[in-house]
Amino acid sequence: MTAVAPQQPTSFLDPSVLARIGNLELLAKVVVEGFINGLHKSPHLGASTDFAEHRAYMPGDDIRRIDWKLWARSDRYYLKEFEADTNTNFIAIVDVSPSMRFGANAEEGRVSKLTYACYLAACLTYFSSLQRDRVGMATIDHDIVDYVPPSAKHLRLVLHSLDRIERSARDAKVMPGKSTLQAPLRKLSETLRRRSIVVLISDFYEDPDEIINALSHVRGRGNDVIVFHLLDPREIDFSYTEASNFIDMETGTKMPVIPEYLRQQYRELVREHTASLQRRIGETRADYALFDTSKPLDQALFRYLVARERFNRVR
Amino acid sequence: MSFLAPAFLAGLAAIAVPVIIHLIHRERKVVIEFPSFMFLERIPYRSVRRQKIRHLLLLLLRCVAIAMLVAAFARPFFQRRHAPITGTGAREIVVLLDRSASMGYADRWTKAKDAAKRAVSGLGATDRATLVLFAGDAMVASEPMARPDRIAAAISAAKLSAEGTRYAPALKLASQIVSASSLPRREVVLISDFQKIGWTSRNEIGFPQGTVITPVDLGGPTAADIAVSQVTTDRDSTGERDRVTVAARLVNTSSAPKTVSAVLSVGGRDAQTKSAAVPARGALQVAFTPIAVPSGATKGSVRVTPDSLTQDDVLNFTIAPDEAVPVLVVEPTSPRQNQGLFLSRALAIGDRPSFRVDQKTVAELTPRDFDGRAVVVLDEVDPPGGEVGNRLRAAVKAGMGILLVPGTNHAETWSAEWRALLPATIGQTVDRTTDAGGTLSSLDYAHPIFELFNAPRSGDFSTARFLRYRTLVPSPGATVSARFDDGSPALVERAAGSGKVLIWASSLDPYWTNLPLQPVFLPFVHQLGKHAGRYADPRPWYVAGEVVDLSRHGELTAPFTAARAGSADSASELRLQAPSGARERVTASGPNHLVTLREQGFYELGGRDTPAGSGRPIAVNVDPAESDLSHLDPQEIVVAVTSDDGLRQPGSDFNAATPQDQENRQKVWWYLLLGALFLMAVETAMSNRLSRVTS
Repeated sequence: MTAVAPQQPTSFLDPSVLARIGNLELLAKVVVEGFINGLHKSPHLGASTDFAEHRAYMPGDDIRRIDWKLWARSDRYYLKEFEADTNTNFIAIVDVSPSMRFGANAEEGRVSKLTYACYLAACLTYFSSLQRDRVGMATIDHDIVDYVPPSAKHLRLVLHSLDRIERSARDAKVMPGKSTLQAPLRKLSETLRRRSIVVLISDFYEDPDEIINALSHVRGRGNDVIVFHLLDPREIDFSYTEASNFIDMETGTKMPVIPEYLRQQYRELVREHTASLQRRIGETRADYALFDTSKPLDQALFRYLVARERFNRVR
Repeated sequence: MSFLAPAFLAGLAAIAVPVIIHLIHRERKVVIEFPSFMFLERIPYRSVRRQKIRHLLLLLLRCVAIAMLVAAFARPFFQRRHAPITGTGAREIVVLLDRSASMGYADRWTKAKDAAKRAVSGLGATDRATLVLFAGDAMVASEPMARPDRIAAAISAAKLSAEGTRYAPALKLASQIVSASSLPRREVVLISDFQKIGWTSRNEIGFPQGTVITPVDLGGPTAADIAVSQVTTDRDSTGERDRVTVAARLVNTSSAPKTVSAVLSVGGRDAQTKSAAVPARGALQVAFTPIAVPSGATKGSVRVTPDSLTQDDVLNFTIAPDEAVPVLVVEPTSPRQNQGLFLSRALAIGDRPSFRVDQKTVAELTPRDFDGRAVVVLDEVDPPGGEVGNRLRAAVKAGMGILLVPGTNHAETWSAEWRALLPATIGQTVDRTTDAGGTLSSLDYAHPIFELFNAPRSGDFSTARFLRYRTLVPSPGATVSARFDDGSPALVERAAGSGKVLIWASSLDPYWTNLPLQPVFLPFVHQLGKHAGRYADPRPWYVAGEVVDLSRHGELTAPFTAARAGSADSASELRLQAPSGARERVTASGPNHLVTLREQGFYELGGRDTPAGSGRPIAVNVDPAESDLSHLDPQEIVVAVTSDDGLRQPGSDFNAATPQDQENRQKVWWYLLLGALFLMAVETAMSNRLSRVTS
């Protein structure tokens, strides 16, 4: 009998990834409401170094905020208003449908998409927690599987839940029918009271129209949505060589396949699918990033965060 | 490529034999877990047959060997599409003559015409020449197969344009002409001042091999010029009467400072003169004393002392008073309390443009109420019938906009004429009171109404809740610019004649939605009014070569389309007179609503019956880029468009063809036969080796 060493809740926190992204910021692109000072733009005016606007003085205003230089020029009393920065909710939604278990190969040192998603979610959660954001997590399949509501104290709970995902996924039986994002995302959007940063990690084996519909529930409530599309290299280039019987991990159906006959068309369809997702998700003003699970997570995440940071600065 | 014995090509069917042999093998079964069949199921079943071709190289060798054998028997020979380029023979000459505004510098234009005439003067009886005039775009100015004297006449008749320089269209056109030519010698003569600004290395233009490109450079490394490059008109509305401050930017490209006099002319009369010392290779802003804004659109210009390039010494503009957009809000006979308050108050705020809002109940409407209106809002009233309805529909077709808010009205009882005009079929009322109301989830930020809200912090629609709204089914040709979170359209529009009809599915007061209580309501209503009334920020001047979409410039066309709104003839045909006197028929929308302004000066837009001189002036100026006379080395263009170094020099001889060459081209069957035999030998060796390995 072999003893399995209990995993630490921080097992998904890769120090090399954290070191790489440590000097970056995950900022909300929409204005968010929070309780304490943080890094994100608030809808309210408050205390920061960013000048927002001048406002005419009204009785009751603190006279220390009067812009005396402007008074000297115009002989009128104006107050200087500054942008307020705040903290926000951060919630990572991880798709744990059977298709996400694809890709694990211990001999080749490859991890499954689900493991990769857990690493990604853990890093971003830890990263957000460092920014004083309230962190939470949800796992979804046909419905919400597990839910940790956003809280400033929930980092360890989130990491424990991520750790449980893999073990429960190993024991899970395949449910008939394809998983959809529509129902779980609709439920989740109803539970999110404040505008938050929502990170959705999935392989998106669904029609783009349905994905956009599902995302609109979350995006429509003013949340900042970031979509991470995970694909194993074999899903992208279909590099199988031998004619084989393929089994659909989502539905369990079988199909005889000669890969070289349909490789070109398959690649074309995947390329169209990812391009369509990128374009349409972009149209909803959400972020989209395609991650190849064979590539190191730190490089991909660093590249994405730098691009997002630069984009925020440009806007 | 052609064949002397094409019947032998039927032997290519023999290629199927090795393919069939390779396909007889069957594979053993391996089971692989795959994430999803989503894409695999979309590929036709024939692609997933159980057969698989093995030893592809062997198959390829066999197929190629058979194909080469068959091709050798068919006796192929090669024939060039174009005759080879030789030093003698008929010539195809394309003369590209730059007529952009910068060619008016000193005597460049005269020299250019002389050079063009010289280029076509030595044409032989079998030679062919084409004259292409270019500026912003290029056009063939000579007739096909024209004689040299006719081409010379076309060169003499050519006139300078006010447009900027672009070499790419001209070179592309020349490339097409010489590519289609079957004459053995092809030449392109490019006559220009080679302005640097007209060429970018990204232009991917190529000429056929052997084309000789001869640049005739009329520009020089140094060109002194003073230009009026910009005029701004700043309004001041603080006093009793609006005043405007005209400021002109003068640019000096010479290496010495120059003092010039700048003259402001308004309404054809010189109003002010100022002296300005423009620094060397610098610019200077000249601000004139503020003047009162004239009552109507008035012509104005700023000119400086004429120099070598006179076209950019004057810059025309127009000054027009701020005209309020006239809006009529029609309410029911017994409106709710404050039903039109939010809309009228929101429209009353703002001055760019200002809105002149009148409110009436539907019972008070008369046919004359629509005269001169830009927008009519039917706020929860049925569209009027009878004479009033006819006049309203005629006004829409003539250019007016209608914003229809159906409210709880029964659209199915409306007349067929109105239902045909609507951009959507109005359905049931959706009640969202049970789920805290719907939101606007999808906005088309590329649409003119919502493009203002595209930037961050510029309007948040997501906080507005819609407790009730009508379902809209868009008609063909309608545009949906906003949708609720259940996918139902919120704002639909469609063009009707020259005007627009828009339907807003919810209410414009807080009865069904709290949108009127949100900060975003005011700019949203302004955008709606501007879009429905076809208002665009008026521009004081345009650049020659610019295309103006009259359907988006209600401020230009409204005075002439509104005047005809009442007449039965709803086709809003307008007349556009160029500075040269040429007239053009245009429309505020429909087929002729795009107008290219090519001439420098004042165009005049008017109705069919508008007297000359009473129309709306539109100022057009030379492209300011033309004042930048920086010179480009002509060889840069020549090198970029030709691929062979040996062909850049004029008169180079190239690739003379001989009968021996043609004979050689037919001997290819020998090589094919030898190749087939070689491949068969290789195939035999390889298949023997594979057999041994398999056994």
